[in-house]
Amino acid sequence: MDWDKLVQLLVNGVTLGSVYALVALGFSMVYGILKLLNLAHGDVLMVGAFVGWGVLGWLGGAQDPTVAVWLVIVLMILAAMVGGGLLGVAIERFAYRPLRRAPRIAPLISALGVSFFLQNSVLLLFGANFRSYDSFDLVDVGVGVDWGPFHIWVMRIVVVVSALAMMAGLWLLVTRSKLGKAMRATAFDREAAAMMGIDVDRVIVKTFFIGSALAGAAGVLVGLVFFQINHFMGFNYGLKGFTAAVVGGIGSIPGAMVGGLFIGLAEAFSVGYIEDFTRGRLGSAFSDLVVFLILVVFMLLRPQGIFGKPEVKKV
Amino acid sequence: MASTAREPLLEVKGLSLSFGGLRVLSDLDLTVGEHEIVSVIGPNGAGKTTFFNVVTGIYPPDTGEILFEGSSILGLDPHKIARRGVARTFQTLRLFLNMTVKENVMAAAYGHTKAGVLRSVLRTPGMRREEREIAQLAEERLAFFGDRLVGYRWRQPAYSLSYANRRRLEIARATAARPRLLLLDEPAAGMNPVETQEITELIGRLRDEGGYTILVIEHDMHVVEGISNRVVALDHGVKIAEGSFEQVATDPRVVEAYLGASATERA
Amino acid sequence: MSEHQSPSPERPRIGVDEWVASAEQRRERTVAGRIEDAVERAPAAAKLVVFALPFAIFPLFTDSEYLTQVGIDTLIYVLLALGLNVVVGWVGLLDLGFVAFFGLGAYLYAALASEYAGRHWEAQFVVPLIAVAVAATGFLVGLPSRRLVGDYLAIVTLFFLQIWLVVLINAEFTRGPNGISDIYPLKLFGREIVSPGGYYYVTFAAFVLVVAFLYLLNRSRTGRAWNALRDDELAAELMTMPVNRLKLMAFAVGAAIAGVAGALYAPQQGAVFPANFDIVLLITVYAMVVLGGAGSIVGVTVGAVLINSSLEALRDPDDASWLFYVAIVLGLVLFMRPRWVPLVVLAGTAAFGLVVHELAEQLRPSLVAGSTFGTARVDEVLDSWVLLPEGAIGQDGLPAGALARIAYVGLVAAILGLTLIRNRVWRAVALVPVLYLGACVWENVLVAQPAVARFVLIGAMLVALMALRPQGLLGRQRVEIV
Repeated sequence: MDWDKLVQLLVNGVTLGSVYALVALGFSMVYGILKLLNLAHGDVLMVGAFVGWGVLGWLGGAQDPTVAVWLVIVLMILAAMVGGGLLGVAIERFAYRPLRRAPRIAPLISALGVSFFLQNSVLLLFGANFRSYDSFDLVDVGVGVDWGPFHIWVMRIVVVVSALAMMAGLWLLVTRSKLGKAMRATAFDREAAAMMGIDVDRVIVKTFFIGSALAGAAGVLVGLVFFQINHFMGFNYGLKGFTAAVVGGIGSIPGAMVGGLFIGLAEAFSVGYIEDFTRGRLGSAFSDLVVFLILVVFMLLRPQGIFGKPEVKKV
Repeated sequence: MASTAREPLLEVKGLSLSFGGLRVLSDLDLTVGEHEIVSVIGPNGAGKTTFFNVVTGIYPPDTGEILFEGSSILGLDPHKIARRGVARTFQTLRLFLNMTVKENVMAAAYGHTKAGVLRSVLRTPGMRREEREIAQLAEERLAFFGDRLVGYRWRQPAYSLSYANRRRLEIARATAARPRLLLLDEPAAGMNPVETQEITELIGRLRDEGGYTILVIEHDMHVVEGISNRVVALDHGVKIAEGSFEQVATDPRVVEAYLGASATERA
Repeated sequence: MSEHQSPSPERPRIGVDEWVASAEQRRERTVAGRIEDAVERAPAAAKLVVFALPFAIFPLFTDSEYLTQVGIDTLIYVLLALGLNVVVGWVGLLDLGFVAFFGLGAYLYAALASEYAGRHWEAQFVVPLIAVAVAATGFLVGLPSRRLVGDYLAIVTLFFLQIWLVVLINAEFTRGPNGISDIYPLKLFGREIVSPGGYYYVTFAAFVLVVAFLYLLNRSRTGRAWNALRDDELAAELMTMPVNRLKLMAFAVGAAIAGVAGALYAPQQGAVFPANFDIVLLITVYAMVVLGGAGSIVGVTVGAVLINSSLEALRDPDDASWLFYVAIVLGLVLFMRPRWVPLVVLAGTAAFGLVVHELAEQLRPSLVAGSTFGTARVDEVLDSWVLLPEGAIGQDGLPAGALARIAYVGLVAAILGLTLIRNRVWRAVALVPVLYLGACVWENVLVAQPAVARFVLIGAMLVALMALRPQGLLGRQRVEIV
């Protein structure tokens, strides 16, 4: 047993999983409230990553930042959250709200349009080449936690901890605040909520803002630990985020967290072991196949996901 | 009037269903004989529509047995139950709004036609005959309502119909599925007195001319009185009375259920 | 109140009902109504001939190999749009893996007729075989989401597309990103097809067959059932229709048509690469279906022709430059009422531009020091009208500084903001600077990269179309209960 590899994969999986969980959360919140598959959610992450990259450049770049490193990271995440949040609000206002009473497929096609628009806009403005966060210049890879033979880069810890902090914040918001109550009421029955005096439109806008802000932050976290960003990165993270939300139970917040972690670990371990298991026939790129199989198995055996409740048809 | 001598078409035994702790149907027994009209009455939330949903296979019951023509239909897909000969209408109309009146009725003949993709595309003689037959069937079924749903109406989309005509079209569509048992969910809801009178006669004609056995949910007691061979009263998913209209209507428990319900009713 | 009317059991009551009934007669009196009726009554074969005629005679009007090639591409796109229409238009499901089936058809052809595979099977066997194989794959992909078909189907199919691309790029038997490039031409009953004209007519034949197939299928019990379940799944299920099976069937039929399109595409290109079947193609085909009018065979065909010709036209910066202005003028004239308003707006924009340009020249000359990307005459005029900041765009066509990026984002925000202005006068007034900003961004940022700009436009079009006219150009407006 190669313990070093195992621990590395575990760390990788948790990092990846916390990013997926953040994406899944926003996706799941929107689905819970609007019953709408926000197919442009992954691209909000991508835009967040570019906002973070822009802020990093503005602050002097990774090699020679003009302010303290921790402040750079905080500012990057905050800017990406604001940018992502505003983008999410704009998407809701212009692409989804006019379609509330349209056939179910209309907002989905609108979402495809938004996604395509965002990807190609970024391609237009930044080109097809990968841009790098160079975060190993920001914080040296050697800095980190050492535990026996194992070494964990501090940036990974920062990423996982900030993801967890955001999730905890969201959890408090949804369970404790008035807004959270309004969100849960709206998700349960939009019309009844409206009749009870809840301004449903505002709740929806806030949900989009929060969900998209999490996605924007996730974009920066991706850049910080995996360095490379480009206009198409949102596809992969969106897809895995959706899968995590479905596996965890769509519409459920703990479901999105657990689902994200599960998918992240599954992906990391299949990247690490798929070659051994298939005796070299399938390379690590086929890890997506494992995640896809997990999705299919869930669809067949537990379509409501880990935390979901079976749906009762309304007749 | 109650007829136990007739062969039972539908037999429901010990049917129970709960939605997350809320008992909607509780140990329900019901028998419907051939060519009977049985009315199901009860206050709002008594479980009448849920009962229809269980019989048509939308909800699986927690316990109980449903026999149709002597064999169990429990656990079958709704479309298979429909093919066996159970058709229904909906309290909240559920027409195929963007299809024409005639297509609505023709579509319900799906289960009794066979032409697959290949035969449809090759327009084989068998497929053409089938199409002619169901077109004719649709016209016949629509003619059942006098001149309301005939002629120019055939080509009109269902969304252009008036409320009463939509109710009629739903009945026509249900009969095109060639049922033996017809479940009508509040056929007179939202109709004016003239239309209500007409629907009452129509339900009688459906049995006499169409030969259907009918299970009907209805709130209008005049309709119930006018059509029923037998009346079953439900309250909170429990059968509280069964018998002729007079028997059930005067049953103190039924009166109590309605009064109690109307006293606390909010909607 | 209906109680006041004399109840007559024979006649329908007078009122809305009667008025709706007479709508039919009113419609019959209009020209459009008569044409519609004539089309409705015409024999199917005659309709098909009229419909296919423009495609049949297209090659007679050109001997340019390029245009014939565009014609073949268009027909392939039409086939794809027709296949997707079965799933999206007729049944109302979101199939995001659709282009994987197209790719599967193409790679299967490569597996059955290429030097790499060492086989050269004849098309009359290969094409039906591929149709069946791809249909079966489609069926299998749709299967896992059978219980909750709908949103879940979208995710599963999108993931399937991803898996398909992963396999294509990483597997050895597909030769990875290099693709398979020694594909044999179509061999039909012993004769090899080598000329573009030949491929055009083979694709045309497939188009005619597919249209006939879909037309007849739509007018059968299956088509009726698809229609019914799109309107109300539960009612359809309770009216004897096996909804899940019907959905999977639609899925398989759509996949089969995509597979056939792929089987024709591969030999005509002579090579297949993973990049041919990506998400860009997927969204382009969606745009075709939606623009033309989901659900209508004629509509999606028109949509495919329109979009593919626009994409072709926008390839070249010279054409792209003036097409933008034609589109703006047309759009204003078509959508703004009364008629003189667009004239005022255009004149205002021209004047606004001249003033801004003049001011910029006086105050910040660097803002007008650049040059346009085209060489046509229209560009000479534009040089003294739009702002062309020096060095805003680098040698690679990408924005070099923040200015161009900010202008682009500002334009998007301005257009969105414009839709929020309710007052028509103010909206027309606000339109003037937005149009000018649009022209500047177009000339600087978008014309520099026409290949990307056209997809930006497709994305924007999808969003705008869904908000303004979800039924597309030729689709029928649907009544839905939500």
